[in-house]
Amino acid sequence: MAKAELKIIGSSPARMGGIDRVVGKGVYGIDLMLKDQLHGAILRSQYAHAKIVSIDTSEAKKIPGVHAVVTADDAPNVRYGRSYIDRHILARGKVRFMGDPVAAVAADTPAIAKQALKKIKVVYEPLPVAIDPEEATKPDAPTLHDDMPLPKTIPADGKLKNICGHAVVHVGDADKAMAEADLVVDEVYETKMIHPQYLEPRIAAAQMEPNGRLTVWANAQAPFPVRQETAKMLGLPLNNVRVISAGLGGGFGGKGSGITSGGAVEPICGLLAIKAKRPVMIVLDKAEETISTTIRAGARMYIKTGVKKDGTIVARTGKVFYDAGGYSGFGVQAGGRCTNMLGGWYLIPNCHIEGYTVYTNKQVCGPVRGPGGPQAAFAVESHMDSIAAKLGMDPTEFRLKNTPKAGDKIVGVAKLRDVSLGETIRIAKENIGWGKAKLEKNQGIGIATGSWIESAGPGGGAIVKVNEDGSVTVHIGKIDMGTIPGFGIPMIVAEELGIPVSDVTVLNVDTDASPWDAGTVGSRGILVSGGASRLAAIDARNQLFKMAAGKLEASPDDLEIIDKQIRVKGTPAKSVPLATVATDAHNVIGEVIGRGYCDNLQLVAEEKAHGSSQPFTTHACIVEVDTMTGNVKILKYVAVHDIGQPIHRAAAEGQIEGAAAMSIGQALCEQVVFDKDGRTMNPSFVDYLMPTINMMPRIETTLVEGYPGAGPYGAKGAGEIACVPPMACIANAIFNATGVRIKTLPLSPENVLRALKEAGKA
Amino acid sequence: MSVTINTIINGKAVSASADASTSLLEFIRDTLEMKGSKLCCNTGECGACTVIYNGKPINTCVTMAADANGAEIITIEGLADGDKLHPVQQAFVDTGAVQCGYCTPGFIMSVKALLDRTKKPTAEDIEEAVSGNICRCTGYNKIVDAIHLAADRIAGRA
Repeated sequence: MAKAELKIIGSSPARMGGIDRVVGKGVYGIDLMLKDQLHGAILRSQYAHAKIVSIDTSEAKKIPGVHAVVTADDAPNVRYGRSYIDRHILARGKVRFMGDPVAAVAADTPAIAKQALKKIKVVYEPLPVAIDPEEATKPDAPTLHDDMPLPKTIPADGKLKNICGHAVVHVGDADKAMAEADLVVDEVYETKMIHPQYLEPRIAAAQMEPNGRLTVWANAQAPFPVRQETAKMLGLPLNNVRVISAGLGGGFGGKGSGITSGGAVEPICGLLAIKAKRPVMIVLDKAEETISTTIRAGARMYIKTGVKKDGTIVARTGKVFYDAGGYSGFGVQAGGRCTNMLGGWYLIPNCHIEGYTVYTNKQVCGPVRGPGGPQAAFAVESHMDSIAAKLGMDPTEFRLKNTPKAGDKIVGVAKLRDVSLGETIRIAKENIGWGKAKLEKNQGIGIATGSWIESAGPGGGAIVKVNEDGSVTVHIGKIDMGTIPGFGIPMIVAEELGIPVSDVTVLNVDTDASPWDAGTVGSRGILVSGGASRLAAIDARNQLFKMAAGKLEASPDDLEIIDKQIRVKGTPAKSVPLATVATDAHNVIGEVIGRGYCDNLQLVAEEKAHGSSQPFTTHACIVEVDTMTGNVKILKYVAVHDIGQPIHRAAAEGQIEGAAAMSIGQALCEQVVFDKDGRTMNPSFVDYLMPTINMMPRIETTLVEGYPGAGPYGAKGAGEIACVPPMACIANAIFNATGVRIKTLPLSPENVLRALKEAGKA
Repeated sequence: MSVTINTIINGKAVSASADASTSLLEFIRDTLEMKGSKLCCNTGECGACTVIYNGKPINTCVTMAADANGAEIITIEGLADGDKLHPVQQAFVDTGAVQCGYCTPGFIMSVKALLDRTKKPTAEDIEEAVSGNICRCTGYNKIVDAIHLAADRIAGRA
């Protein structure tokens, strides 16, 4: 369908389910109430690293109202994990971070459950802890997993340990090119752990059905992986496990990594339901959640770049220490991505970067919004600014000088198809008033760019059922957390079927009925479910046209659907209602059921043939630094994004603004703080600071069109990329304001003030 | 120890008993089974549980249910007039301010309280009114748009 013909795509209709949410209908996981349900609770390790000598549950079991107490011994002795299969659902023999689940109870009331947890006697033998990921690789560091081998690419010579992921980027001859550079800049950057802090706590509910099946309700972003892992952990076949997705109050990747995300809350709940022979529901307390669920990991990044006097980059080398936490989680993938992105998205002909994902005694890394990207971009884009300053070049000119064009390759991408990077830089300059804005004392202007990938990973399906009245019911495998299912999918289906958006209902995921999907992760909602839904709607339309053709005495190719009427193009009088044809289907094909699938192999092949058209972005801001307090106030913030064809314009803007806000939070205040023993010092919202309206600038979003992506109608993913530039953008503006470059996050008042004092500027 | 709590919720007299240690949020969500007010931080930091209590917005997670004896409470369930949404609810839908929607009931209650006080809120008024409500999805842009739209509609400017 040509762009000019699009009637709905690119507009901003009211979100499906919006009214339910503003009137307070209980649509979320936390609003569930199963008949006769018990309350589950989890006992968590109070040590970051310790041997479990013994667990005595006898006293807890005696408390009236306690129906089940479980430990690792009550579950099959199997482990889960994505790359390293390194974790039991309840700690077995050892705990590896404070918050590691050790035992669980199900009781009549939350108070009784809490009381029972206190009566479980666990004897620990504390072990030394590894907190810093770089230190943890050294031979004298404590060993976290005795039976996990080093990645095959690392020599087992005893020089490195605790590593679960090793990524190497190698292009050209970086050492030779570095030696020939006019200027070499060598720096170290570091980001800290943040928690995604979706507002709705993690829940799980489970009940055994009379026929021996286990039903699990989860507010997880990936219901099918939850089903697969829950079944494996409890020794059940997949056809005997049903996962129903409850509505999600935010996720941001924190709920995205199967059972890892919630620290196995789903199989633990299932185990309790099996043992108690009653339905059980677990709701995590927010402080409990901060210490036990998956996070955006911190990274230490060594980055060194050689440039010619004219600003041409000739070489980059680097090293990444990426924090997996106590188990591998999503750390291997995120650390690999961070390593790749440290190579930047500019023309860099020679590059060598080594990345290590390292076990430490901390919370486990999850695929939190742009896993690995925001960390790498803080280093890359601060570093670019630093090089420009040393060259005496304007930071934007330095970037534009090294910007790739169509047909070029960048680190990790063999060939680019369309490259919007330069245009986003130019628009951001214009929008922020680069070189024009009048800056007062202690005010500064900064810019940072970013990119993100969206092509990796499995596909997923869609089923479009046309009902007798012409309305449509859609099954997809992605959940609604303010993302594509409630916004873009109804629009795509309505566009292809010529019906109003309000006539389309997209159902939440039920693994018994929905098509398989890897989950609402990786900016892939539009690519996977958007693409699949479009094909499913076209399939349904073809079925309708085939049946209507006879009635209308026309070829199916000559038909169209306008205002719920199937009619002959150019002869509107020859028409039949969509509802009539859908009803008549009962006697012909049973029902109009369109099927579609996002074929990932085809996407990969197309990218290989024609190049990648990945999204690019540039953010720019003006800040004011209070040199007395170290406080940084953002006065103006612009975000320029190429996301291809926007599907739901307001939703796309909302994704960008929300993602930017999350990284602005990481830039200015967010951090999970640890003491030397690995104890989280700020688990509750009282101490874990997040952006409120007071500290947020108005984000001025511009969507750049004309660079079509691989998704339906040329759309690209929009959920994560805006997390990439903000941290460096703000750090660069602080440098512009004060001449001080801060290389460790967050840029909190105390850290800024300390840096200013060290530089004699405060 | 169980206590009987008599309140007026959304215009209706409600009497129910609950444990003396029950928070007002637990009373509303678990005892009365009204799930619109949301549980999140349980420490009065995020505003997801906001209701209007004797005319003022409060965090119900840090208010004792027993203290609400005799109070008049409006929750998110009490704003719409049948199928007709309150202008603040409608504005949140129309501007795309509802992403995941979990913070939405709390925001709407804070904004309703603001617009009950003033018909033309300034940027400072808005910031002050919702500074206790955290949204993790929107970056607040569309929420601010919704507040302005609701204010304009209530005052007949839009």
